[in-house]
Amino acid sequence: MTSTAQELHPAPVLEPGRTILELRGLEKRYPGTHALKPVNLAFKSGEIHAIVGENGAGKSTLIKLLTGVMPRTSGEVIWEGQPAALATPHEAMALGINAVHQEVVLCRHLTVAANMFLGEENSRFGILQQRAMVKEAQKIIDDLGFDLPAHVTLGDLTIGQQQLIAAARATVRGTKFLIFDEPTAYLTRKEADQLFTLIRRLKTEGVTIIYISHRMEEVFELADRVSVLRDGTLVGTRNIAETNDAELVKMMINRSIEQIYHKEHFTPGAAILESRNLSGKGFENVSMTVRAGEIVGLYGLIGAGRSEFVTTLYGRHRKSAGQILWEGKPVQINSEHDAIKLGMALAPESRRDQGLCLNLSVGLNLNLPIYKRISNNLLISNAQERTQADRQIADLRIKTPTRSALASSLSGGNQQKIVIGKWLAHGARLFIFDEPTVGVDVGTKAEIYRLFSVLLSKGAGIILISSYLPEVYELADTLHVFRRGKLVATHGFRTADHEEILTQALAEKQEKLGGQT
Amino acid sequence: MSTEAIAAEKPKRNYNALFGLTLLALLVLLWVILSLSTSSFASANNISNLLRQGSMIAILAVGQTFVIITGGIDLSVGAVVGFATVIAAMLINAGVPVFLAILITLLVGVAIGLFHGFGIVKMGLPPFIITLATLTSLRGIGLLMTNGNSISINNDAFQEFSRNSFLGVPNLFWMVILVGIPAYIFLHHSRWGRYLFSVGSNAEASRLSGVNVQRTIYMAYTLSGLCAAFVGVLLASRIGIGNPTQAEGWELQAIASSVIGGTSLFGAVGSVHGPLLGAFILATINNGANLLNVNAFWQRIITGALIIIIVYFDGLRRRGGK
Ligand SMILES: Nc1ncnc2c1ncn2[C@@H]1O[C@H](COP(=O)(O)OP(=O)(O)OP(=O)(O)O)[C@@H](O)[C@H]1O
Ligand SMILES: [Mg+2]
Repeated sequence: MTSTAQELHPAPVLEPGRTILELRGLEKRYPGTHALKPVNLAFKSGEIHAIVGENGAGKSTLIKLLTGVMPRTSGEVIWEGQPAALATPHEAMALGINAVHQEVVLCRHLTVAANMFLGEENSRFGILQQRAMVKEAQKIIDDLGFDLPAHVTLGDLTIGQQQLIAAARATVRGTKFLIFDEPTAYLTRKEADQLFTLIRRLKTEGVTIIYISHRMEEVFELADRVSVLRDGTLVGTRNIAETNDAELVKMMINRSIEQIYHKEHFTPGAAILESRNLSGKGFENVSMTVRAGEIVGLYGLIGAGRSEFVTTLYGRHRKSAGQILWEGKPVQINSEHDAIKLGMALAPESRRDQGLCLNLSVGLNLNLPIYKRISNNLLISNAQERTQADRQIADLRIKTPTRSALASSLSGGNQQKIVIGKWLAHGARLFIFDEPTVGVDVGTKAEIYRLFSVLLSKGAGIILISSYLPEVYELADTLHVFRRGKLVATHGFRTADHEEILTQALAEKQEKLGGQT
Repeated sequence: MSTEAIAAEKPKRNYNALFGLTLLALLVLLWVILSLSTSSFASANNISNLLRQGSMIAILAVGQTFVIITGGIDLSVGAVVGFATVIAAMLINAGVPVFLAILITLLVGVAIGLFHGFGIVKMGLPPFIITLATLTSLRGIGLLMTNGNSISINNDAFQEFSRNSFLGVPNLFWMVILVGIPAYIFLHHSRWGRYLFSVGSNAEASRLSGVNVQRTIYMAYTLSGLCAAFVGVLLASRIGIGNPTQAEGWELQAIASSVIGGTSLFGAVGSVHGPLLGAFILATINNGANLLNVNAFWQRIITGALIIIIVYFDGLRRRGGK
C-alpha cells in the first residue's frame, strides 16, 4: 500500500445515476432463521441509499452478503453489469466494496496506523515501514478532519473514535461502494457531524453509499433514497423527498406509534443514592442525588467521564475522594458485588466487552444476575430459569429462535435488549443504563422507555447516560451535563434548550481545539 | 451453497447431548471392533483392566475441564498426582489412619489449587505459567521429600481397595461415578457451574452482572487440584508406592480427554460426560493397540491423529451452516 491521500478515491467508472450494483433474489438462511427472503434492489451510482428496519430485519445480513463476510444461500449480485460471486471479503474489496460494520472489527492491540493498513502493509524488502505508515495514516486522518492520533493503540480510543478509524480505513482502498452499518451508534454529536461531512464528500467523489441507521433524522439528513426491510423482506423503496417519518415507521413495524418518548412524571420520593464530591479516575468532584421515581440523565461527549463515574458508583473502580450515600447512609462500595447487594444494577455501554457472554445462550445471559434467586442452595430451578428467560424475551420482543440460541447469533439491537433485559427481573432499586438504546429500533425504544416508567412506578430510580441528546432531553427529570470529567450544568425536565445543553457539553473541548491549532 | 444451508436448516438444539451420543457411539464401535478382532478384549479381566486404566485419567479430565471452561489450563495435575502418592504413602507409613491420610492428601490438593487461584487472581499470572511452575517444583519437592526413592506402602487394606470390585465393577470405576455425578450436577445444574461458563465467555460481563469472578477462578483450580489429589490416592493404592515421578504426562492425557470430549480450549464450552467418554476412548485405544500388538510408538501417533480428527469434526459441526 503506497498510495497517497490524493489517489485514494479514484473516479468512478460509471456516470452518476446508472445502476452500479443490483441484487436479484438475494437470500440468506441461517440455521433456524430465514434472515433475508429473496430481495431485489438496485443501487444507483453516487447515491446515498439508506436502509432502515427493525432489529433483526436483516440489514446487517444484507451487508455481510455484499461484503463477502458470509456466503449467500441463493440469488445473484450484479456488479457493474457482471455477476459477482462475493465469496470472500477480499473479492469484495478488490471490486471496491467496503463496509464499516456495526461492531468495530479491528485489532484493538495494534496501533491506529497498523489497523488502517491491515492486510495492505507498506513494507520494503519485507520490513514494515512503521514510521512511513504512521505518517501516512495521520495524513489521511487529518485530511478527513478527524482529530485523532495515528500512533496510539486502537484500544485506547473510545468506541466512537474507533468507529471513525474504521470509517477512515474503509475509504482508503479505492472504494466505489461503501456501506455504513449504524455508524453513529457510538458517536458523539460532533463525531457524527465529522462523519456526515466525510460521507457527503465521498458522495461528491462518486462513491455509492449505503447507510443503515435507526435514527430517522439522520436518514432524512443524508439519504437520497431509503429502503425498508421487515422480517427479511424488502417492503419498499422511497425517494427521501416523497416520504416522511411516520410512513417509514409504519412500513418498518407494520403499525404506527404515536409517541416514542413515553414520559410519565412521578413525584420523587426519598433519595436512593447520593454522591458527594466524588472523584475518581476520569472524573472529579461530582455531586448529585437520585431519588425514587426519577430519571437522572447524564449528557456529555463520549469520554466526558460519565461511564467512569457510574462504574465507580458501581464498585468497578476505586473512588479517590468523596462519599457515596445509599438511602441516606454512607456506604463503602468495594466491588460490583457490594453494589448489587445494595440494590444497584448496571447495564454497561459496550455490549461486546462488558455486556454479554457472546458464545453462551440467550437464556444464560438473561439469567446471569439472578441465578442466586432462581436456585436453592444447590440446584438451579430449571422451570424458573426457563420462564424468567422466556418472559424477558417476550417482554422485550427479543428476536431469537429459542432461548438456547447463542447470543452471538442475534442481531446487534437484539443483543442490546439482552443487556437491558437481564436487569429487569432483578428487582434493583437503582438502575444505571449506559447508552441503553444503542442500535435499538424505534418500536423497541418506545418499549424500553415504557419499561423505564414501570421501574419508576415501583419506586426505583434511574441514571440514564446517553450521548443522544433527544433521549435524555425527553426523558430525564434532572439532566446533568458532563464535560471533561466535571459536572458543569444541571437542568430540570426540558428547562433548557438543545443549543444551550450542547454548548455546555462542548465548550471547553472547542477551546482546547482552538488552542492547539 | 444452497444444499449446505438447507442441511443446516434445523437449529442445533441440545448440541451437547448429541455430541455426547456420538462419542458414546464411537466408544461402543471401538469395543465391538475389538471384541470381534481379538479374542481377549471381551474377557472380564481385560474389561476390568481397561476400566481401571481409564478411570484415573477420567477423574483428572473432569477437574481439568472445569478449569478449561473458565478459559484456563491446569498443567500441574500429573505432578499433583505424583506428589499426592508421596504424601499418602508417608502418612500411612507413619501410622496415620488411612481415612485421615486420604483426607489430608485431598487437602493438600485443595491447597495447591488455591495457590493456583492466588497466582492467577492476585498476582495476575497466566494460568499456563503458574501451573507450569507448580508442575516442575512439585516434582522437585517430592523428590526432596523421598530422597529420590519410592516409598512402599505397608498397608494391605489400602492396596486391596484398588484391586477389588463391587458388583463386578472395579472399585476404581465406581470412583469415576462417585466424582462424575456430583460434578455433573455442579456443572450443569448449579449456579456455580453457570458462572464457570460465563467467566470463560466474558469475565468482565460476568463481573458486572454480579458474578464473583475471582471466587469462580479459585473454585475451578481448587476442584482440579482436588481431583488430582484424589487420583493420587487411587494411584498410590493401585501401585502400592509413593513416588513423585509417577503420572508423568498425565496432564496431557487429561487435557486430550477433555478436548476429545468437546471442551473448547477457548473456554465456555464443555461438559462432564464428554471428558469421561474421552478418557475411556483413549484408554480403549491404548488397550486395543496392546492386544493387537501394535507398537507402543504407534499408539502415541494414533492418539495424536485421533485428537486432530475428533476436534476437527467437532469444530466443523459447531460452525454449522456457515
Ligand atoms: N450468525 C448467525 N447465526 C444465526 N442467526 C443469525 C446470525 N446472524 C444473524 N442472525 C439472525 O438473522 C436475523 C437478521 O439479523 P441482522 O443482523 O441482519 O439484523 P439487523 O437488521 O442488522 O438488526 P439490528 O438493527 O438489530 O442490527 C436475526 O433474526 C438474527 O437473529
Ligand atoms: Mg445490524
